[in-house]
Amino acid sequence: MQDMQLLEEGLSLMALGMGFVFVFLTLLVIVTTLMSKVIGRFFPEPVAPAVPVRGRGAAPRGQDDDVMVAITAAVHRYRRRHHR
Amino acid sequence: MEKLLTLWHGSGVYNLTPGQAVMILVGMLLLYLAIAKKFEPLLLVPIGFGGILANIPEAGLALSALDQAIEVAKPAVLQQLATALGVTLDPLANAEAWREALKGVAHDGAAPDALRAARDIAVGVGYGDGMLYSFYRVAIASGIAPLIIFMGVGAMTDFGPLLANPRTLFLGAAAQFGIFATLFGAVGLSALGVMDFSLNQAAAIGIIGGADGPTSIYVSSVLAPELLGAIAVAAYAYMALVPLIQPPIMKLLTTQKEREITMTQLRPVSKREKIVFPIAILLLVAFFLPDAAPLLGMFCFGNLMRECGVVERLSDTAQNALINIVTIILGLSVGSKLMAESFLAVETLGILALGIVAFGIGTSAGVLMAKLMNMMSKIPINPLIGSAGVSAVPMAARVSNKVGLEANPHNFLLMHAMGPNVAGVIGSAVAAGVMIKYLG
Repeated sequence: MQDMQLLEEGLSLMALGMGFVFVFLTLLVIVTTLMSKVIGRFFPEPVAPAVPVRGRGAAPRGQDDDVMVAITAAVHRYRRRHHR
Repeated sequence: MEKLLTLWHGSGVYNLTPGQAVMILVGMLLLYLAIAKKFEPLLLVPIGFGGILANIPEAGLALSALDQAIEVAKPAVLQQLATALGVTLDPLANAEAWREALKGVAHDGAAPDALRAARDIAVGVGYGDGMLYSFYRVAIASGIAPLIIFMGVGAMTDFGPLLANPRTLFLGAAAQFGIFATLFGAVGLSALGVMDFSLNQAAAIGIIGGADGPTSIYVSSVLAPELLGAIAVAAYAYMALVPLIQPPIMKLLTTQKEREITMTQLRPVSKREKIVFPIAILLLVAFFLPDAAPLLGMFCFGNLMRECGVVERLSDTAQNALINIVTIILGLSVGSKLMAESFLAVETLGILALGIVAFGIGTSAGVLMAKLMNMMSKIPINPLIGSAGVSAVPMAARVSNKVGLEANPHNFLLMHAMGPNVAGVIGSAVAAGVMIKYLG
């Protein structure tokens, strides 16, 4: 009878423990998802969009044109060779 | 001649018991596994060496002052101890029989006051606590060492993949089934009369299935200190064996098609989410499971130090210097529990066997849960990442990645598997909290 009681205790601890782990982590999923949404909507990272804008703006215009010319020439030549 | 005989009687060879000899060999085996086979060397080297130290005859490094006095003191001192403990010694028996009788009383059945008085006598005669015994009291009996390690683990953990896909927390929860199934297994073995585990001991054994060293040590130090040596050795040995234990189970439970599933790329996670997350866990713990607060509190604290970005120095210390120092002391303290009387028992074999079952069940439960989630949701989930739900960070995630690559060489699951992997750490800490709440 002692054994049966031990088994019962074990079984109830198993059910209780597993149940609680699931409940807790489910709560954590909900809280995490909510938190991500709230932060994404109300407190977005201010740094992220600032960096690429500054990078593009800093490039000198003249050099840009040179690069464009070179690329256009290369594309032109490539197309001619492959349309033959 | 008389002097020579005294020297011989004081030597290790004369006093070596068979049990101690076997335990020294076990310590050597652990060292071999750590050094030659690279089994969790950071822990098994100190544990193995501590095990050898603890079994040096006559040195009593792992004994308290009282035990040491009982072990080696002169008969006159033994009589003093007997009066303090309230034992009557048979005047006809020899000193060895007295020692046995005193040891029996000192370990169970003596009133705290009597024990304290006996201890004072032992200290007064000049016996002191062994080095490893002191390490054990300070590091493990107080619960401090596993908690500081947990803080370091928190400071090393990146919750990014988990935050990008919070549903993977379910996988970490499912894999904890290994813990509770093993608990039930241990209770079942006792009911069948094969072994003799109490419910507390069964719970401490089950935690091996959480595949989390510090959590196992913490729980067994609270619930079943007498089994701590075997449990810690089993936990760390099996963590090293994760790459061997898991793949066959994972392949058995999934089809080739499921293993080939590619998962959508994770979204980037902002710094702010990462900072708020450990605080969110902490609040949930505070509201719902205060018993998990020591473990998860330290874990969240470590993680907050990492993510907040203003205490680089503290985070660096927690991840490196501090965790290394504590690992040394923790390893030696665990080694002090590898004493012949407690380790050489059928129960140890039972613990080793149940431990591997715990790993297997945890892995299967994680994989099956991932299959279920894959069927239910529109976003595909590769069932292989479920096995990473048993913690064993980052080994289990690497195993998922490796098995995934075998099925589909272009499928990198590592980052996806890190989510369930750290979820497993949270899950096993929660499971530990429930057990301590229920049984502590």
